[in-house]
Amino acid sequence: MDLVRPTHLGEAISALAAGNGLPIAGGTALQLTWEAGEEKPDGLVDLSRIDDLRGVEEGPDGLRLGALTPISALIDDEIVARNAPLLATAARDVGGPSVRSMGTLGGQIGWGVGCLLPALLALDATVEWLCVEGKGMSPLEDYLAETPGSIITGIILPEQPDGAQHVWRKVGLRAGFTPGVIAVAALVSNDGQAIKTAKLAVGSGPTSPQRLKQIEQSLVQDGLGSVDEKTLRDAIDAPCDALRSSSYRKHVAARALLHGLGAKIFKPTPGTVSMPPIASSPQGERILSRHDCADEWHERTDLAGKLAGEPVFLTDLRPLGALYGSILRAEYPHARILSIDTSKAEALEGVYAVVTHKDVSGLNAFGIVVQDQPALCDTLVRYEGDPVAAVAADTKAIAEEALDLVEVVYEPLPVVDDPIKALESDAPHLHPGGNLRKTVTLERGDVEAAFAAAAFVVEDTYSTPRQMHGFMETEGGVVTPTEDGGLLVQCGGQHGGRDREQLARILDLPEDKIEVVTSPIGGGFGGKDELTVQPALALLALKAKRAVRLHLSRRESVRAGTKRNPFRITMKTACDAEGNLIAQKVDAVADGGAHASLSLGVIETAMEHACGPYVIPNASTRGQLVATNNGTCGAFRGFGCNEMTFAVECQIERLAALIGLDPITMRRNNIREPGTPGTLGQKVGPTERLSAMLDAVAASRLWTEDMPLKPGEVSGVGMALCYQGNGLGTLPPDEGDVELALAADGAIEARYGLDEMGQGMIPAVASAVADALGIGREDVRVVFGDTRNTPDSGSTTASRGSYIVWKGARATAPGLRTYLVLAASNLLDRNEETLTLVPGGIGEAGTNSQDPILTFADLATRLPLDALPTERQHVAFPKSDYTQGNARFLFISGATLARVAVDCVTGMVRVLDLAQHTASGPVLDAASYLGQVEGAASQGLGFALTEHIAMDRGRTVTGNLDTYVMPSLRDRPERMETFALEGLDAGDPFGPRGVGELGIAGVAPAIANAVAQALGFKAGEVWPTTLPLSPETVLNWSAR
Amino acid sequence: MADNAAPLARNRAELERALVSRPPSVIYPIAFKLNGQPQAMTVTAEMRLVEVLRDHLETTGTKIGCSIGRCGACTVLIDGVASNACLAFAWQVADREVITIEGLDVMPFAADVRDGLLEESAFQCGYCAPGFVMALTGFLSRHPDATDEDVIACLEGNICRCTGYASIVRGALNAATRVREASTP
Repeated sequence: MDLVRPTHLGEAISALAAGNGLPIAGGTALQLTWEAGEEKPDGLVDLSRIDDLRGVEEGPDGLRLGALTPISALIDDEIVARNAPLLATAARDVGGPSVRSMGTLGGQIGWGVGCLLPALLALDATVEWLCVEGKGMSPLEDYLAETPGSIITGIILPEQPDGAQHVWRKVGLRAGFTPGVIAVAALVSNDGQAIKTAKLAVGSGPTSPQRLKQIEQSLVQDGLGSVDEKTLRDAIDAPCDALRSSSYRKHVAARALLHGLGAKIFKPTPGTVSMPPIASSPQGERILSRHDCADEWHERTDLAGKLAGEPVFLTDLRPLGALYGSILRAEYPHARILSIDTSKAEALEGVYAVVTHKDVSGLNAFGIVVQDQPALCDTLVRYEGDPVAAVAADTKAIAEEALDLVEVVYEPLPVVDDPIKALESDAPHLHPGGNLRKTVTLERGDVEAAFAAAAFVVEDTYSTPRQMHGFMETEGGVVTPTEDGGLLVQCGGQHGGRDREQLARILDLPEDKIEVVTSPIGGGFGGKDELTVQPALALLALKAKRAVRLHLSRRESVRAGTKRNPFRITMKTACDAEGNLIAQKVDAVADGGAHASLSLGVIETAMEHACGPYVIPNASTRGQLVATNNGTCGAFRGFGCNEMTFAVECQIERLAALIGLDPITMRRNNIREPGTPGTLGQKVGPTERLSAMLDAVAASRLWTEDMPLKPGEVSGVGMALCYQGNGLGTLPPDEGDVELALAADGAIEARYGLDEMGQGMIPAVASAVADALGIGREDVRVVFGDTRNTPDSGSTTASRGSYIVWKGARATAPGLRTYLVLAASNLLDRNEETLTLVPGGIGEAGTNSQDPILTFADLATRLPLDALPTERQHVAFPKSDYTQGNARFLFISGATLARVAVDCVTGMVRVLDLAQHTASGPVLDAASYLGQVEGAASQGLGFALTEHIAMDRGRTVTGNLDTYVMPSLRDRPERMETFALEGLDAGDPFGPRGVGELGIAGVAPAIANAVAQALGFKAGEVWPTTLPLSPETVLNWSAR
Repeated sequence: MADNAAPLARNRAELERALVSRPPSVIYPIAFKLNGQPQAMTVTAEMRLVEVLRDHLETTGTKIGCSIGRCGACTVLIDGVASNACLAFAWQVADREVITIEGLDVMPFAADVRDGLLEESAFQCGYCAPGFVMALTGFLSRHPDATDEDVIACLEGNICRCTGYASIVRGALNAATRVREASTP
């Protein structure tokens, strides 16, 4: 690609005339369009050095804005604010702040799809341009239609008529920093009696910028009353794409214009809830914040380095001479591989290794539960992200070029893109055992008889999205060959010991030749639990005999990475006239995607939570995990529980409405008695807090405390009760080792083979170990996520980490304390009983003094290296004795309340207020606990409102973070509070429970129930059952 | 580790027989200041600043999350203004001054920003943190007396997946308070 950087317009014009260079100003849209497949130009003509293109000035013809005016300047400039407030308002909705400071006004027009275009059209903008033949001026509309090969030099906005008022609304995929779905702009002047002038336009994103001249005419001739939704919808031309329909775009634009112009739009009347009388929060419940936690608030020790940009992440490692790895993904979602020819790729200069299935000397399969996922595909590809080959080269560019040279011949096979169809007899089998990977059932009592006798029945089908983990650090890392023929694997993971086991099996290497470093990780959420890029990297490193690094692009991560299993849950729930639940039938189908991974566990966990925390005497449940070619799925925070909680908590709410009971009484009537067997009949651990959580909900201010709404919004409040199992369950091994030691420098090393993904494992360990030893947090150095120097503590998943951390500290502390005191007593020639541990070292026993008489550092210095005290213990996660299926023993309780605002103009839902009540045992670290609950809430919010990977016949339609819509800063609840109820039952020996997943389960059902209330849904009506909630559906509901 | 590893293609002739390659990219020399230090290098027209930082200069404090300007993880300051290093072509910083997280301390209030965020434990995994820090520092250095609303708005181009933003907002407002205090004589 060529580059010209002229400093004068004449040079720029000559450069354009000479070749096919693309004129660019900020160039902020290019990466997006190129990644989406648009052909790159042969050259770029940079306009940024041409001073003639700058400047904002008021002139006789109006306001002239130089083409290079940054979008950010439109917001801040006083002249713009005075002359064209519509433009200033619109500019705030373009991209994010840093895109706005790079992107320009001219670029918005040159690109042809900029969000500002409708505003500029309504402002009657004229484009000033220059081409080889000379300069000219065209109305913006004409300029966009003709797209001449010219340079935009400036934009002229005529003076606005007196008393002009503007309307601006950009509708996107979320609240802020969003691609446009459609934007509307209007500039209308009024003489106090009638509309004198009207300029209306729509555009943005896929919607072509267009003026609505017929509507303008009607407004001026016949007034606002002459225009209704239908005439507006008919006047707008808007396309359909994978994200929004044409009909939605037209509908929302019509309503936004009407609403903005002052016409009344229909708003439903929200429903009301009568609450049970008198309520007080459970005793001991407290709100978490830095202020409220005061002495218990600790800054995260791992954060300072990250804030300083230290290369702590594994994708930041740059070992000397490391090659760059790249993976060739399947060309089809389902195909037979007929041949793979790597010779051309191997012949490319700068390529050091090309690997295929032929290079796999061990088992060419991995998977945490069953090994069905090829390290590199040999005969079959089962999803678009399946790896077929990989290369290691000097640079990323060479590696990518080499991938293009690998010739794979495929025979495409029919694509199985729907789990229901996948179960039909003629569906092609993706795995030898067929597409039904697992069925989990439960039969109790006689559901049919109970339904026949029931007073109230609710039945519906709930769908949940293919959610992406969305960790900000995509999959990657480095694999380095070691001197002894082994490997050092430094790739983000959630269980180093198991990654090592899986890699050893694939590579046919003894486990002790493989060292695995798995953290720190830039976010995991379950998505790095299974192996990701490690097999390909390891094969490359072994073959190239060099370190190889790789960091997936977001686009590749979207296509190849594991996702949350989409569920379709049909649930029929019945109760008697008093509101006692009597029967529930559940039929759940989970899309497993191509490979099993932990989906096998997800379906089990979902079904374990199929009745929620409620006692339902007659139950018939069936869950099926089905293989498809829709990507691949596996573990994700919540792990089936949150999907099921969504359905259960909506069902309860709907039954309550049918009976006329308030949502709390309805639940209170049906929650399980502490100490009774669990849903599967298993023994359940102590400290159940469901009733206390209902007390907290009853006392919540959310029911009564309104929050300010924007025009066009209606508000509602909803709740959900949460009940979440901790740990891996009875069937899989769930244990590990933990080690404490005095290090040579005097630190008390806490060696845990767990991973820091951001959840706060480090502060939790520091807290637990300091507490167990009676020393200071600052005495503790946490060593983690590295098989070289930590024992295998099991996986960092399933909310098991907190227990392992706490129990591990409890188990190892007495031994280490004894050794430390013994060592000190020898050195000091003192009786052991007179010594104890204090912060910083060894102190006097039996006194209040917290000052050490021998510091840990001195103790360590005075001991021979091989005499430094070390204590290792084995700890097991508590389990029940139930083995007919996988069942949890420890369950934690929570409740979520949400106040939402439904925008009756756009159908979009805003969470105003979110309260999370949690009972997860003692809080190990206040900041981490709070962070986990808040972060889970945000993921729950995305799950409920915006997130879904769209697939089309097995192909991923969602490309990157422009179309995968995670909550942005503006989408966060205006107010969010997290409460903790810490106490344990007397004699409960199980300590802190894991809170990492508790915060996600109740968010979606609380939002759905709140939306139902906001829209005034009556008992027996529709309910928001499909997630993410479609704004189109909500708009249709609110406009009905 | 083997130190005698060599490319598979041994000679030019073999190479030319084997492949149809793209035309070579035109190379441009650029000079710019990175964290106060002069840098000179050659780049192609397509090369992005983030690639220069992470792969060529191996300053990996600047993160990469999407490479299309949709997450802000790569935010750096170009002449003091927060910019996406994944969108900026390397040649666009020619003769300009780039500040990354590694060089943040040259900015006024850098310590206040860091301390304000640290105190609130604003981040969890911290991968997005450098981007937020750069955006916040760039903004506060130009608007030390900004309103809370504007402080929050300056972070709208950054995505965080772990925290749900609540702690980041608390940290940013805490930082803004420190900056306000530090800048008041």
